[in-house]
Amino acid sequence: MSKKKRKPPDDVKLNLAAMLDMAFQLLTFFILTFKPAPVEGQVELRLPPPAPVTGAVGGAKAGADDKNTDVTESLDSLIISVFSRPSGKAATYAIGEGNVDNLGVLQGRLQGIFQDPNSTFKQVIIQVAPALHYSELMNVIDVCTKTKFADGKSLTKLSFVELPGDVPGQ
Amino acid sequence: MSGSGSEGEADLTPVLDMVFQLITFFMLVINFKAASLDMTLKLPVIGSARPVDMKGTTELLILNINKEGKINVYGIPHDAQPYIKGEAMSSLLKAKLEKPTLKLGDELPTMVVLRADGVTTFNLLYNVIKLCQDNGYRRFAMRAMNRDE
Repeated sequence: MSKKKRKPPDDVKLNLAAMLDMAFQLLTFFILTFKPAPVEGQVELRLPPPAPVTGAVGGAKAGADDKNTDVTESLDSLIISVFSRPSGKAATYAIGEGNVDNLGVLQGRLQGIFQDPNSTFKQVIIQVAPALHYSELMNVIDVCTKTKFADGKSLTKLSFVELPGDVPGQ
Repeated sequence: MSGSGSEGEADLTPVLDMVFQLITFFMLVINFKAASLDMTLKLPVIGSARPVDMKGTTELLILNINKEGKINVYGIPHDAQPYIKGEAMSSLLKAKLEKPTLKLGDELPTMVVLRADGVTTFNLLYNVIKLCQDNGYRRFAMRAMNRDE
């Protein structure tokens, strides 16, 4: 009986075609789901619910609170008003009761007010016409956030109030 | 003389290597959160908008507000009031895990990201802000583009 000689096994060749096919499938998935993120910035604000402007408790009689030595403590808000055209673009601005022509003048006035070391204003309340566009509002917020106090700190306390009025088309 | 014709087999190893390089690149840059951003909205352009830095912020509520004042969620407009209320309940339940004494109406740690179209009127935007405030949200981030595209 002759023993059959076994041939030494040939080199095992790995077929990469299947692996490459799977890799292409994965690549196609990631290419199709790739979505470049837009370059967006943001302005961070802390907006608590509206509170009374004065420090007096509702219904309290004048002089009733012995501990309250500064009734005007809460009256340190600078009020900026933004009025709009029917198209939604900003028409005029106002700081308190004084009109301001444009954003450049508004920025200059704000800077003058807050840079004054004797200024007591700590926050800004923006009264906005209901028809004003979001882009116009962001321009005003942009101006406010660029304003700095006399000590170099930026103005961060902002809040919004809606002016009475109608919105054309709504 | 017969020449043994060896079949020309392309070596697939470099091709596979390049494909894996590409896959690794796309895996590293994939951003699932970008899917929640509504690209149809044309955000305003302001120069002082700081690049988004969400380090330290645990949770975001992204509100894409369209011209009609509705919230676009993956392309589908939703009414603001029920949507924000639902999200607030969800945020409250998550926040309660860290602070069990929290109750409805208390300040939530979630930051609300407002992405509104540039022509959205203020009254619609303010309505959304008030709804958020009523449901406990205090931190807001108003998104804008750093530069025009």
